[in-house]
Amino acid sequence: MTSGAIPRSAARHAGRRTKARPVVRPLLIFILAVTIAFFAVIYSRISLDRTAFDLQLLDREIAAQEERHWDLRAEHARLQAPDRITQRAAELGLVYPDDRQAIEVRGVESVVGGPEDRWMGLRALFVEQP
Amino acid sequence: MSRTSFRFGDLRVVALGLVFILAWAGIGYRLFQVQGADAAVLAQRGFDQRIRHETIEAKRGTIFDRDGVELALTIYGKALIADPSLVDDPTEAAALLAPVLGADYVELAQRLDSEERFTYVARGLENDVVERAAEVIEEADLIGFSFEEAPLRIYPSGGLAAPVIGLTRFDDGAGIEGIESVMDTELAGRPGKRVVERDQAGRAIPQAEFLLEASTPGSDVVLTLDREIQYVAERSLQAAIESTGALGGTAVVMDPETGEILAMVSLPGFDGMDRATLDPSAIRNRAVSDVYEPGSTLKVVAVAAALEEGVVRPSTPFETPHEIEVVGETYTDHGSHPSIMTVTEIVAQSSNVGTIKIQKQLGDETHYRYLDDFGLGRPASIDFRGEATGRLDHVSEWCGPACSASAAIGYGIGTTTLQMAAVYATLANDGEWVEPHMLEEIVAPNGERITTEPRRRQVISAETAETMRSMLRGVVTEGTGFRADIDEFPVGGKTGTSDKFDVETGEYSETETIAWFIGIAPIDDPAIVAAVVLDTPTGRLSDDTELKFGGASAAPVFAEIVEAALHQLGVSPAHDDDA
Repeated sequence: MTSGAIPRSAARHAGRRTKARPVVRPLLIFILAVTIAFFAVIYSRISLDRTAFDLQLLDREIAAQEERHWDLRAEHARLQAPDRITQRAAELGLVYPDDRQAIEVRGVESVVGGPEDRWMGLRALFVEQP
Repeated sequence: MSRTSFRFGDLRVVALGLVFILAWAGIGYRLFQVQGADAAVLAQRGFDQRIRHETIEAKRGTIFDRDGVELALTIYGKALIADPSLVDDPTEAAALLAPVLGADYVELAQRLDSEERFTYVARGLENDVVERAAEVIEEADLIGFSFEEAPLRIYPSGGLAAPVIGLTRFDDGAGIEGIESVMDTELAGRPGKRVVERDQAGRAIPQAEFLLEASTPGSDVVLTLDREIQYVAERSLQAAIESTGALGGTAVVMDPETGEILAMVSLPGFDGMDRATLDPSAIRNRAVSDVYEPGSTLKVVAVAAALEEGVVRPSTPFETPHEIEVVGETYTDHGSHPSIMTVTEIVAQSSNVGTIKIQKQLGDETHYRYLDDFGLGRPASIDFRGEATGRLDHVSEWCGPACSASAAIGYGIGTTTLQMAAVYATLANDGEWVEPHMLEEIVAPNGERITTEPRRRQVISAETAETMRSMLRGVVTEGTGFRADIDEFPVGGKTGTSDKFDVETGEYSETETIAWFIGIAPIDDPAIVAAVVLDTPTGRLSDDTELKFGGASAAPVFAEIVEAALHQLGVSPAHDDDA
C-alpha cells in the first residue's frame, strides 16, 4: 500500500459525497438566505419602529418647545404690563418729578414722530458735531 | 381478557379522537367565522376601537397693540377632566381639589357625584396649577382624574382695555365680546383633521397617525391702541371716578389726521383673567355703546356751521341776556357774563343763550345737515360690534323752535363718546372727518398684511376749522375749560354738562349730570384729540365748584391724559406764547 493510494471503499464514499453536494448546497444557501432575509426584515422593522419612536419623541420635544415659546411670550408681555411696572417703581421709591422740564436741543428739527424719529434726529446732530 | 381490554382501549381512543375532532371542528368553525363569515365586521370593529378621527384645533391669533405688544394671546394650557363613575369619594376629592383649582367646593362636589363618564373639573389651567393639582391627585391616590391639553386665552396686561379687547368663550374659545368678537373669523383660523391609531391605554401608536387636513392658524390682529396711553387714560379716569363718586366714565384718545384710536377707556372695567369676579355690566364698551346728550360740547357744530355758511364771523356780537325763552321753554346760562358777547366769547363762556341765537340765524335745515355731516346719528366706526347709532332725529321731525334751541346746546340729540371725539377730530384735521378706527392691520399666517383705509369726507373748510380751534383755545385760556390747560403744550377744547334724563319720570334731573370735556392738543398743530366723559360725578372742589360740571371734573382728566400722551408720542413741547 503506497502512501498516495486511496482505498477503494473510500473512493466509493468520496464519489457519493461528490454526487450529494449539488443538492445540499443550494438548499443550505436558500435556508441561509431566508434566515438572513428573515432577520433583515425583523431588524428593519425594529429599526423602523425605533425611528418612529425617535420621531415621536422629537415631535413631543417640538410641541414642548413651542409651548415654552408661547409661555415665555406671555411672560414677556406680563412683565411689560404698565400696571406691574408702576407698582414695582412705587415699591422702589421712584416718583414722577414735580416739574417736568423740556430740554430743547438746538439743531434738531421739529419732530412729530415717536422716540425712533427723535433718536434719528439726535443721531444726525451727533454726526454733524466735530 | 385481551379482547375486552382492546375494546375498552379502542373506545377510549375513539372517544378521545371524537373529542379532538369536535374540538378542532369547533375551532375550525370559529376560525371560519372569524376569518371568513364575520371577518369584515370584526375587522371594522377592531379598526374602530383603534382608529380615532380627531380635530386639530387651530391656534387662535394674537392681538397686538400698535407697538407689537401682546394684548391677548393663546398659550397651551391644560384641562383637568374626570370620570365621575370612578371617583370613590366625590366630597373628599372636591375638598382636596377645589382650593388648588380655585373652584367652588359645593359645585365641584355635585359635579363629581354623578354616574356620568366625563366631566370637566377645570379648564384653562396654567402650569403651576397643573403641577399642584397633579401632586394632590397623586398623594391622595384619587382615581378617575386626568389632564388633557386645552388652549388658554390670556390677557397679559390684565384688565387694561378689557372692554375693548373683549373676551372669548371658555369652552370653545370663540370671541364673544369686543375685538375678540368683531375679528373672531380672522382670529379663529380653521381647524384640521387627523386619523390616529391608539393602543388600549389611549396612547398614539407611532407611525400610525395620518393627517387628513392641516389646521390653519388664525391671523394676528394689530390694533391702533397705544398701551402706555391706554394705561394713563385708564388710571386718570379711574382716579377721577373714585374722587367724584361717579358711576362710571369713558375716554377716547385719537389721532385726528389718521382716525387711529390710541386709547379707549370704559369704566368700570374687568379683568379677563379673573372670570370669577366678572360683572356682566362691566363687559360692555361704554365708549361706543352708551349714548348721552353731549350738552355744550355740541355747540361747536352750530357755531362751525354758522361760520362756514357765512352767517356769522368770530367777531359778530350778540345780545346775551342771562336767559332766553323759546316757546314757553326758558334756557339759562351758568354764571355771569357780559350782556353783549362776540361769537368767540359765546364759545369761551359756553353761553346757551348766545348759541341758541346763532342757531336761529343758521336755520334748522342747515344745522341738521352739518350735524349729519359730522357723523351723528350713525355708527362712527365699523370696528366695534354693537356700536350705538346715537340719536339724531331728521329735521322734519323736530318739534319746532324748542327742539332747535335744544339741539344747538346739545340736548335732544344722543351721541356716544366716540362720535363726539370724531367731531372734534374733524376740527383738528382741517375740517375733514376721518372714520375713527382701531384696526391697524390683519397679519395672515403667510405674512400677508391686510389694511383698510378709513372713510373720509370734508365737512367744513380748513379756514373755518382753524377759526374754531382758536375759539377752543379761548375756552381753555379765558373760559370754562381752564382746568384743562397744561404747561408744556397749548390745548383747546370745550366743556359740557348735560342733565341726566330720567326715563321713569320723564324729566331731567336737577342734581345728576353727565360731565364732558373734549379737546385738541397741541391746538396749533394737532396731534391728538381726547374726549372724557364722567357719569354722575358728585362733590365739590376746594373753591366750592361743583364737580358735576365738565369743566371741574372732566377737564383735569383730559389734561392729565393729554400731557402723558403727547410725551409718549414724542411731540415736541410748544413754543406758543400762550402755552
